[in-house]
Amino acid sequence: MPTRREFGATALAGLTAKADRKLEGAFVFEAPGQGVEAGHRLRDHARFAAPARRVRIPAVIVGGGVAGLSAAWHFDRRGFRDFVLLELEQQAGGNARSGENAVSAYPWAAHYLPVPDKRQPLVHELCRELGLLHDDGTWDERWLCHSPQERLFIHGRWQEGIEPLVGLTKADAAQYAHFEERIAGFRLSGAFRIPMEAGLAQNTAAHRALDGVTMGEWMRREGLYSPYLKWFIDYSTRDDYGTRAADISAWAGLHYFAARAPEEKGPLTWPEGNGWIVKRLLAKLGRYVRTGAMVHRIQRQRRGWLVFTGDTVYEADFVVYAAPTHFASWLIDPPPPRWPIDSAPWLTANLTLDRWPANHGVEFCWDNVIYNSPSLGYVIATHQNLNTRQDKTVWTYYWALADGRAADQRRILLGGDWNWWKEKILTDLERAHPDIRRCVSRLDIFRIGHAMPRPVPGAIFHPERIARARHQGSLVYANCDLSALSLFEEAQYRGVSAADYVLRNASSTATR
Amino acid sequence: MTVVLFLSVFLIAACGLIYELIAGTLASYLLGDSVLQFSTIIGSYLFAMGIGSWLSRFIDRALVSRFITIELMVGLLGGFSSTILFLAFAYTTGFRVLLYSLVLAIGILVGLEIPLLMRILKERFGFKELVANVLTFDYLGALGASLLFPLLLVPKLGLVRSAILFGLINAGVALWSTFLFRRHLPSPLIQRAACAAVVLVLAGGMAVADHITDTADSALYADEVILAKTTPYQRIVLTKWKQDYRLYLNSHLQFSSRDEYRYHETLVHPGLASVAGARRALVLGGGDGLAVREMLKYPGLESITLVDLDPEMTRQFSTHPLLLELNAAALKNAKVHIVNADAFPWLERDNGVYDFVVVDFPDPNNYSLGKLYTTAFYRLLRHHVAENGAVVVQSTSPMFARKSFWCINETLKQAGFKTFPYHAYVPSFGEWGYVLGTRRDWQPPTALPTGLRFLTAGNVRSLFDFPPDLAPVPAEPNRLNDQTLVRYYDQEWREIVR
Ligand SMILES: Cc1cc2nc3c(=O)[nH]c(=O)nc-3n(C[C@H](O)[C@H](O)[C@H](O)COP(=O)(O)OP(=O)(O)OC[C@H]3O[C@@H](n4cnc5c(N)ncnc54)[C@H](O)[C@@H]3O)c2cc1C
Repeated sequence: MPTRREFGATALAGLTAKADRKLEGAFVFEAPGQGVEAGHRLRDHARFAAPARRVRIPAVIVGGGVAGLSAAWHFDRRGFRDFVLLELEQQAGGNARSGENAVSAYPWAAHYLPVPDKRQPLVHELCRELGLLHDDGTWDERWLCHSPQERLFIHGRWQEGIEPLVGLTKADAAQYAHFEERIAGFRLSGAFRIPMEAGLAQNTAAHRALDGVTMGEWMRREGLYSPYLKWFIDYSTRDDYGTRAADISAWAGLHYFAARAPEEKGPLTWPEGNGWIVKRLLAKLGRYVRTGAMVHRIQRQRRGWLVFTGDTVYEADFVVYAAPTHFASWLIDPPPPRWPIDSAPWLTANLTLDRWPANHGVEFCWDNVIYNSPSLGYVIATHQNLNTRQDKTVWTYYWALADGRAADQRRILLGGDWNWWKEKILTDLERAHPDIRRCVSRLDIFRIGHAMPRPVPGAIFHPERIARARHQGSLVYANCDLSALSLFEEAQYRGVSAADYVLRNASSTATR
Repeated sequence: MTVVLFLSVFLIAACGLIYELIAGTLASYLLGDSVLQFSTIIGSYLFAMGIGSWLSRFIDRALVSRFITIELMVGLLGGFSSTILFLAFAYTTGFRVLLYSLVLAIGILVGLEIPLLMRILKERFGFKELVANVLTFDYLGALGASLLFPLLLVPKLGLVRSAILFGLINAGVALWSTFLFRRHLPSPLIQRAACAAVVLVLAGGMAVADHITDTADSALYADEVILAKTTPYQRIVLTKWKQDYRLYLNSHLQFSSRDEYRYHETLVHPGLASVAGARRALVLGGGDGLAVREMLKYPGLESITLVDLDPEMTRQFSTHPLLLELNAAALKNAKVHIVNADAFPWLERDNGVYDFVVVDFPDPNNYSLGKLYTTAFYRLLRHHVAENGAVVVQSTSPMFARKSFWCINETLKQAGFKTFPYHAYVPSFGEWGYVLGTRRDWQPPTALPTGLRFLTAGNVRSLFDFPPDLAPVPAEPNRLNDQTLVRYYDQEWREIVR
């Protein structure tokens, strides 16, 4: 029983020398001109200096998240090179940005890509290009999430997997089975696909009706009341869409479970999360990218658009608008209708640990979740390392502020100072790791006021969403929030299809 | 005088509450779910106190000396309560039973204290005054203890010392009582001696509180410990019994000097003797230098690179006289290059190609070690093996962990090796398994170095023969994203240990 003995010993040693250590840290991406501040300047129509330079260019991509970069990727691989990508922040990537310190690289938000199934040709293509998918159809083990993948802290101990298994009654198990069965049916229907656009034609009236109720309501109708199952579904919708099961459209909630049929045990993940993909895209596309270039106005001309950023104004035939869609009515002149989909506030934190907390039972996993915690748990950035020994580590901690109204939650998000949030985070982690304070040496916090769309009832089949997603004219929308589902695959699909539209129309203009 | 009397009430009340808090805290630390632990502990403790109070009616004579005995018993039992519980947690499976027995025992004794004391004091005070004062000081003591415990005791002293400290206070009250009530004691000296003995035992306990886990640690090894080192990576313990030296890493037996030659000859020679003209060799793991000792029996080898995680391990095995005798000073040989690094990332950085590679890692009993047995690792390894070279992987026991053994074989195959599994009997381990991997077709060697004690050119072939009880069983390969091996291994050894 070496583990029991070790644990007894650490508990004993731990109790004699307990002293909170000094903890450093800060909010990140909050320098003037960045993040929240920049957003508010746009919202308030602050005055910007007049441009000194005028550049004519066939196409401009606004926003360098996964969607914008995917548009650039598509332009480039089709041999179209006359464009720039303008990105507000100093670092491209958007929600797939990452950081790095002496211990490890780590994600700031998006941290994994589910292994795509055969029906997602675009993601397949990208994976093949990045060496993740071999020619013989096998996936590179290196970046598939290593064992052990997930664990849940429940009833005072860790269990393997996130679906609660400890303490289930027969009735709970029957409800799990019922839920699985319903999901299997939805999967077969073909109505729930990734990208979501691909399945819309398969949606019957019954499917559409699912967008009229919340997931919570759907569960009630199905007689699903097991507290464990309810927790699990609520955890899942908070984790992927920053929205509680009680608030999310049942269509979106079901899409999460029914849209994938992975052919390999995944997901794909890296120390820096999806930042790994961004780095590789930037290595290839960096020359098109201008960072620190906030677009503050996009003005319609008789032909084409004027895109204002810093001291330059671009005169473009086409604009691929890949910045968050709800900014569009502040930037574009004349403004499009108000974007009807609210967005969810999120908080992520990267904790640098000088040593690991004592652990008992299931080993540290990639994803570590605490049952009934308001947060979503933490992901271990060093998990994909090949070392057998890892003295220090970085944990990325996730928290979707999903209770009640998004605007109220944003007030809390921005109202708490670093100390307040630090306490919230450590206290939450202390449930599972009583000695966490003695392990953490640094804690940096990223506050994302408008992190992702909240797919509440009505969002999926909202006429404005459908209209905005349909490309027309010479300004096309591309951010993943057009899908109302915040996923890498959606961002990539939106970016590529917007770019493809531009290519088709640019060539037809040229030949005419 | 009155104040002093009621101070004793205050103190024993504080002690009583502290033991209860200690039991509750330890239970929630060790078992989790603090709400459940605290409420059941408090409930049982109060219930036991009730039993104690009820029992007090049966004590009719010699109240003072009974009171002193009870104080001393509480002092000892309460004082060592956390020590006992920690050790029970670490070494037995009966933690819960012990926890509640201890809580009941202490509770009963504490329940006896106040009724007895009240009866002792009843001659000196009126009933009204007595009840009022005793209960006041009782509750005050509880308040004091409940504030002291979280604010001072747990953070500053820890649970072990706090308990002992309060044990000492109980013993102090006992001693003090021998003076206060000497009129009631026929021979106070005997009682004082008993108090002194308890104080000494507790004070001794206080002094060694820190070493409690250490002493217990060495009790685990049956034999004389001649070397014990805790490195950042592991605990290295070398024991001796007569002429048998045994090395334990994290309490897992690595070898016994009586039969390690069987293990290491079998690990090295079938592979190395078959690679004609081998010049460069690599050993991954195996910081004890015993495999290297066998490899040095091939004069044609020009260099042996040994990669072991733990510098202390390779340092001990290249300096400690006893260990040098065991490995024939192999690690000091000029052909041997020692690298202290984590094998997987090291191999990723290294660009050597080797004629023979020994992979001698600890058994895959956790996911971190399991990475060193994956298709990803073996694929990487394949790039480092010469075209006509060979690798050999220690592959746990095909007898006790049959599926694990065949899983390793399957994993090597998936990684593109031709595999040749074999096994041998090593008494201190049992039936042990190895898998040889090559890039080409392969034949067992027909000649071996001279001076081997176990292998002969004649018996090598027989190692490759598997009797029906060790024969192949289907197993999924072990991959980074799906470590089947760690699960197989865990299942198989659990069945045996139980
Ligand atoms: C905490 C969190 C975790 C997530 N985890 C995952 C995950 O694990 N897997 C997954 O698939 N998805 C995840 N997502 C979803 C993620 O949002 C998408 O996968 C994807 O990265 C979105 O890309 P995008 O390009 O559509 O939007 P964004 O990433 O929001 O990109 C928009 C870009 O536009 C820029 N911009 C904004 N305004 C301007 C302006 N005026 N001028 C110029 N540039 C501007 C922004 O700076 C930003 O770079 C997560 C999201 C969050 C918030």
